Amino acid sequence: MTTNQLDETTVLEILRRVIDPELGCNIVDLGLIYSVAIVGPKVAVVMTLTTSGCPMHESIGLGVQNALLNLEGVDEVEVELVWDPPWHPSMMTEFGRAATGAGSF
Amino acid sequence: MLTLGANAPSVTLPLAFVLTGLLALCFGMGWLVGQPELLAMYHYNPYIIALTHLFVLGGICSIVMGAMYQLVPVALETKLYSERLARFQFAFHVVGFIGMVWMFRVWNMKQVGHFGSVLAAGVGLFVYNVARTLRRVPKWNVTATAVTAAVVWISLAVTAGLTIAVAKCSYESAPALPPASPLGALLRGLRSVAGFTSQFDALSAMHAHAHLGSVGCFVMLILGVSYKLIPMFTLSEVQNVHRAAWSIALLNAGLAGSFITILLDSSWKPVFGLVMVAALAIYGWELVAILRARKRRTLDWGIKYFLTAIAVMVPLSVLAVVLCWPGLERNPFTGQLENLYGFLGLMGVVTFAIIGMLYKIIPFLVWFGSYSRQIGRAQVPSLTEMYSTRLQAAGYWCYLAGLLVTGAGIVASNATIVRWGSSLLAGSMTTLVFNVGIMLTHFFKPRLKPFPLQPATAPIPA
Repeated sequence: MTTNQLDETTVLEILRRVIDPELGCNIVDLGLIYSVAIVGPKVAVVMTLTTSGCPMHESIGLGVQNALLNLEGVDEVEVELVWDPPWHPSMMTEFGRAATGAGSF
Repeated sequence: MLTLGANAPSVTLPLAFVLTGLLALCFGMGWLVGQPELLAMYHYNPYIIALTHLFVLGGICSIVMGAMYQLVPVALETKLYSERLARFQFAFHVVGFIGMVWMFRVWNMKQVGHFGSVLAAGVGLFVYNVARTLRRVPKWNVTATAVTAAVVWISLAVTAGLTIAVAKCSYESAPALPPASPLGALLRGLRSVAGFTSQFDALSAMHAHAHLGSVGCFVMLILGVSYKLIPMFTLSEVQNVHRAAWSIALLNAGLAGSFITILLDSSWKPVFGLVMVAALAIYGWELVAILRARKRRTLDWGIKYFLTAIAVMVPLSVLAVVLCWPGLERNPFTGQLENLYGFLGLMGVVTFAIIGMLYKIIPFLVWFGSYSRQIGRAQVPSLTEMYSTRLQAAGYWCYLAGLLVTGAGIVASNATIVRWGSSLLAGSMTTLVFNVGIMLTHFFKPRLKPFPLQPATAPIPA
């Protein structure tokens, strides 16, 4: 018998299922996730968006909740949207840059 | 915590406006193919005025209003004041513009006034709703300023239009009615307005009214909203806020002066015309700076449509300066240049830009309606996967060719060439309609796929 242990890597991996539909790339490789805190069955995510007033912000936030609540052992998800530090394309991973057609910085 | 729908209204409201607008544009294109001579003759006739109001009120205004109900609350980070008012406005708007177009066509100005009043009531609701929404904006910026200005200008444009309609009516029954009765007082008031308006040249009044609406509302919104949307879509940012603010301020100043000088047919027209050209030049400067700083190197076709429309502003500005130059001889050729100016303004700049933005707005609305609750639970498509980019590209080239050929037909005053050109424009609209059809199928048949595998979490022995 085994139990699953939640860690940041697992959470980030599951968050790759949430895409920004305009940019066609997942939010982790876009560099939108600032931090993940796991306390027991609760996951708190601090994230940003590419721009304030992004029309997708409610959907993306809901996507984070949906994805994490799907994860075994997660009962509660808190998503905090912050604008400081502001997002910059340099926060994207190589995969994110390739997916969005952004160059290197 | 984030909640779905905190700011945006329901998807059906903006979609109803946008699809109505699309239908009106298609109908207008078909009309132009059927009666190409309308652009090969001078524009002061019932048919071209009816067709212009179909494009402007039925097509462009419907789309712009629907987009504003969706984007203003989201882009300015606030909530729409009243969705219910917006639904009432939709009914007023549709009845108003259809009635107006029909009555312009049969040149029944009294009924134009009646249907125009219905439309104006709707615009009043729109202005009130957007104004109350703007009061809630937490952080004022150049986009909010431009939206405010556009709302003011559209109110003035509608007032000016109604005033022109009032001036073309007769009030035979006014003396027979008691002055104290409501109808008697109304008719006497309208007769006074008609008397005042008749002092101005009818053609100048019409041109002044057209500039209020097209520049004040549409061009103003194109400038203001693009300061938000172009950086958003290209992963860039506004490079110089002061430059952006100057472009909006100068456009407002130039338009105010142009309205008066066009109305009075004053020799000062070029001065204010050049102020507006300066505003557009500053806008172009800032737009180039935004695009140079962009991190998303590839521009999608929606942005290409939009930027090409902005580029059409260059010949349009040259034409504007030529046409407002004092002492310009008014002859059939300059009359055709006026037609070309109106055509390039409405179809080359505003409609072309709107089609580009429709490729952003409609997929977003459909995606929001079909997938926003599924994201994270299943694989959802990206916006570009919701339509054919090949059709979109074909539509772009077809539209560009249509603009050039129709423009040539207008200058040559040749109805056959106008028909070829407008057929190309109609062909481009067909590609858009096909693509919108593909997008709408996602409402009825969402393309959801299960995720391949849930990532394994680190197993530990119990």
